[in-house]
Amino acid sequence: MTTIRRFCCNDLLRFSPVNFDHLTETFNMSFYMTYLARWPDYFHVGEGPGNRIMGYNMYILLELTTASYVSAVMGKVEGQGESWHGHVTAVTVAPEYRRQQLAKKLMNMLEEISDKIQLGFCIEKRFLSRDKAYFVDLFVRASNMPAIKMYEKLGYIIYRRVLRYYSGEEDGLDMRKALSRDVEKKSMIPLKRPVTPDELEYD
Amino acid sequence: MASKFGMAGGIPERRVRPIWDAVDSRQFKNALKLSTALLSKFPNSPYALALKALILERLGKPDEALSVCLNAKEHLYSDDAILIDDLTLSTLQIVFQRLDRLDLATSCYEYACGKFANNLELMMGLFNCYVREYSYVKQQQTAIKMYKVAGEERFLLWAVCSVQLQVLCGEGGEKLLLLAEALLKKHIASHDLHEPEALLVYISILEQQAKYEAALEILSGKLGSLLAMEGDKLRLQGRLLAHARDYAAAAAIFQKVLESCPDDWEYFLHYLDCLLEDDSRWCKGIVDDQTQWSKVVGTGTCNLSLLTDEVFDSRISSALTFVQKLQTEVDNDSSRGPYLANLEIEKRRRLYKKSDDRKLMEALLKYFGRFGHLACFTSDVEMFLQVLTHNEKTEILEDIMKVHESPSILPAKALGQVMTSFRLQESTGVTFRLPAFELQSTAARMTEMYCKHLPLSKDLDPQENMHGEELLVMACNVLVQLFWRTRRLGYLLEAIMVLEFGLTIRRYVWQYKILLLHLYSYFCVFPSALDWYKTLDIKNILLETASHHILPQMLRSPLWPDLTDLLNEYLKFMDDHFREAADLTFLAYRHRNYTKAIEFVQFRERLQHSHQYSMIRIEAPILQLKQKAASLEEAECILENLNHGVQLLDLSSEENCKSLTFNEDMQSRPWWTPTPDENYLLGPFEEDLLCPEEFMGKKQANERETRLRKVIERRALLPRLVALSIQTASSSLKENVKANGSIDDNSNSSELKHLLERYARSLGNSFDDAIKIIVGILDGQRHLEDCSSHIVDWMNYAVFVNAWNLFSRDLALPDGNGCQFDSWNLVDNLIEKCTIELLRSTEPLLKCPGHDLLSLVQMVTETFSWHCLVIQSCLRSLQPSGKKKKRGSGAADHSHLPLCKAIRHSVDSLCAAVEKVTTWLKAQLNELEDEKLSFLLSSLQRNGCDEGPGHILEILEAEAATPNPEVGFRISQMLQSWSSADVARKVIKGQFSVLSEFYCLCNSKLKSMQALRQLIP
Repeated sequence: MTTIRRFCCNDLLRFSPVNFDHLTETFNMSFYMTYLARWPDYFHVGEGPGNRIMGYNMYILLELTTASYVSAVMGKVEGQGESWHGHVTAVTVAPEYRRQQLAKKLMNMLEEISDKIQLGFCIEKRFLSRDKAYFVDLFVRASNMPAIKMYEKLGYIIYRRVLRYYSGEEDGLDMRKALSRDVEKKSMIPLKRPVTPDELEYD
Repeated sequence: MASKFGMAGGIPERRVRPIWDAVDSRQFKNALKLSTALLSKFPNSPYALALKALILERLGKPDEALSVCLNAKEHLYSDDAILIDDLTLSTLQIVFQRLDRLDLATSCYEYACGKFANNLELMMGLFNCYVREYSYVKQQQTAIKMYKVAGEERFLLWAVCSVQLQVLCGEGGEKLLLLAEALLKKHIASHDLHEPEALLVYISILEQQAKYEAALEILSGKLGSLLAMEGDKLRLQGRLLAHARDYAAAAAIFQKVLESCPDDWEYFLHYLDCLLEDDSRWCKGIVDDQTQWSKVVGTGTCNLSLLTDEVFDSRISSALTFVQKLQTEVDNDSSRGPYLANLEIEKRRRLYKKSDDRKLMEALLKYFGRFGHLACFTSDVEMFLQVLTHNEKTEILEDIMKVHESPSILPAKALGQVMTSFRLQESTGVTFRLPAFELQSTAARMTEMYCKHLPLSKDLDPQENMHGEELLVMACNVLVQLFWRTRRLGYLLEAIMVLEFGLTIRRYVWQYKILLLHLYSYFCVFPSALDWYKTLDIKNILLETASHHILPQMLRSPLWPDLTDLLNEYLKFMDDHFREAADLTFLAYRHRNYTKAIEFVQFRERLQHSHQYSMIRIEAPILQLKQKAASLEEAECILENLNHGVQLLDLSSEENCKSLTFNEDMQSRPWWTPTPDENYLLGPFEEDLLCPEEFMGKKQANERETRLRKVIERRALLPRLVALSIQTASSSLKENVKANGSIDDNSNSSELKHLLERYARSLGNSFDDAIKIIVGILDGQRHLEDCSSHIVDWMNYAVFVNAWNLFSRDLALPDGNGCQFDSWNLVDNLIEKCTIELLRSTEPLLKCPGHDLLSLVQMVTETFSWHCLVIQSCLRSLQPSGKKKKRGSGAADHSHLPLCKAIRHSVDSLCAAVEKVTTWLKAQLNELEDEKLSFLLSSLQRNGCDEGPGHILEILEAEAATPNPEVGFRISQMLQSWSSADVARKVIKGQFSVLSEFYCLCNSKLKSMQALRQLIP
């Protein structure tokens, strides 16, 4: 029972049962609020009955059940030309709602939005309109086997390894999935070697 | 900070860039060198000055930075030729902001805008200044000016948002909304709207004025196409129609929503509400977070469904048909919405027609068949169970319990169903009403089941949840229930053992950690509680919502360094956020996400008024005072930093207390302590407390909030009470007291009286009645337990009254049984009585969980400290100063004899009290660890009895000693590392460290009081 709706500030005060999970990072306020200020349509929450957060994916998905928020999704769209893609910043599902393919719904939602939505960006005084995204990508800790397996099931591949991505210590894996616009699935051809964080194109 | 480019104040970019680069890479000393060199070339350049100020501030020289800034400002103002550019101003603004002088930044921008009218860049900077100051009216005026210059949609929306903020957060009346509406209408007529957020704002303005039809018209017109996602548009339309009470149309829209998202529960409820024309949910003010217009939702009158029976029946059957259709459309097993919908429909049918047919029960059982194995089943059906009669509940539970527990391992799904059955029994209160013997066997079954099913999780990554994990939570809950009923220590220990066992197997289970930290806290094993709390990695916003798990008990504990860290971490988070909050708001304005700009301001208000924030701002300085109470001078230093306690008085004002917000998330608290100020284990077993539905109802929540507001009021008064008590004690000893009492002394005394009256009121009494209560306690006519609020609050009151009375001599104490009290007596006797009371159980802590150790700590570290400070103040004034003439000093000395006697008696009384405490502590500290260990372990030995603690421990130890070979290597390694003796030692060592810390505090207090004795003339 998922209601997907935009994440709002008050949800920050309700997601503690989800964030207690050690795989879920609690970012600083500026991080969440910058997302909300810039890409509110890419930050959704899954709400369960009784208005509890079941989890969230910095993208969208809300599961409305009598329990809690399901999940919130945070994402943003970045890049130029064929590197125009949707990025998943965070995904998390509360333990009691796991193994119900919620993350799958969440990711589908994100992909749907990346696929379909026309975005207008205003850069300084010009108005640029962007088309549909080519692929979705995300970073995951190299040790987070449960998440890696889940994304692989959803059709993501490991595109590249980013050395010491997490606080200069743990490696990150950049996983990608091509969207409908990337007909030849060019975005999913994995790199042959690992990269370092300063080689990343986007911050 | 990004590097800035371009010319500023005539300085070429190439000279400026290296300075910014140095600042960005935090090489401030280098940056300062470069900036000083730059200034020597351009000594009058406000920009060069601003840069230097910025660097000075980063180097930790705020005073110098401010003075350079002010210099730059002067140059800006005085030199007419200079073009004031935004770069200079924004650099200055950064420094002023960091120096907490937003007003100066604003005045710079105001000056610049005045001088260079119609400069959009400057005006945007000025708007930003007003955003930082939350000056909504000025924001609006500036935005309108920009709109008049440029005609751009964004400036209009900035103005409209500023109007909305006046209405929502400021003093603006709702008539302002008409103005906002008119502005938008006019613009749209000639320019249309281009931003979806602008449309949302327009609609929200109409909604706030209840102009639903107008909003709908706009949404269905050309502007509606701004909402790219059809689903969003439909949802908004539906809600507007529902508010406008056009139920049929709303229901049709919601039906469309569900057709594309069959699993959307909230919108199913909206659909059903509209179909049945039931607006009770809207009336209850269900906050619609998307629009945040909680002022609007819920202001209508409630119209419960007035449908005739026939119409109701026909609508219900349309709903059922529709739901069946949805069920065929959902293609997987995880969409529960359309199936839960059946239950909701039957619930409505039952409530409306007051029927008691079996349909609801059948629907429940069907839902169980499909989804009973899921962890969320119980929470899904909670609200439906509440509607059943007692007999029906029993029948359902019996049906569900028929799911057999078999001797062999159940597959995961069946295990899930068994766990659901346990959960349901717990949540309906059935479990807790079982007799003790059955409770015990239930806990045993749960533990056995957990151990038996470990093999199911053998291949799972340790970071993944294990199957059956929740069984240990449930077993722990039962064991705590048993402890509450029987008071047998072994059960409490077993609860701790079970959780530690679970965490040994998988160290990531946060539910275990939270339960454990509360159990350890109850047992005064604070170091272990704190350790587990830290592993939860509670940081950032979780500090606001989850600190309640550890802070309340730490605040009263003797572990001051850890407490200081917790308090500082919280304050840093909040202060850092408030500092950046306005910039984030401006970011939302800039990116045209106007609804978010408003949301951010409202959120900031909410955090600013946080109850916890107030509480910590009060308790942090009180902790400092406690730490320095041995020295009057050091205490006075701390008080001076607080402006003698005046700074905190604002927090105790009615205005502040009324506007407090309560943001703590209590959901994850254990059943026995649903809020931080309630702990059922501290009192006797009460069956009435077992009903889960009655936990934290709205009424109780309100009562709790009222109580907490009073606590804030009282605690905020403390530093000022201490400061005034010190001052009046010393004033009272000036020669020719009353006759020549200075104006200051008199006003201090009357302020002290006034604050004491407020303090007494927060305890629920007038000043005089509060005194009578204390006298009554001493007479034995009243019991300490009967007093509302805390024993320490009353003791503090007596101490401050005594201080006040030293100067005013106005205290009229009632005769108690023919005994005459003076205020010194009052305090001494109260201290004696309370010490005895708090030590009444002379049992050691280990044998007596729930002992009120924390009140003892509070009494010694607070009450005794305040009293000592008053005494120190008296003694300091009694000391002969060099200036006093010897002549006549003999007479003066004699006049102070009664006071000296009273002080001596008081100090003796304090010493005696502390010695009683240290004796009690020493006995426990001297006991050998091995003796304590064997005591604890003996409480867990069954000695052949079936009843009593120890059975669950046997199960755990059996599993640890010889793990099932099917559990796999990782789990069996973990199992073998677990030992019950280790857990017991943890309890012992933890308590020891707390007691020993308290013992040190007591000893140092004793020493300082003994030193005081020497000073008494």
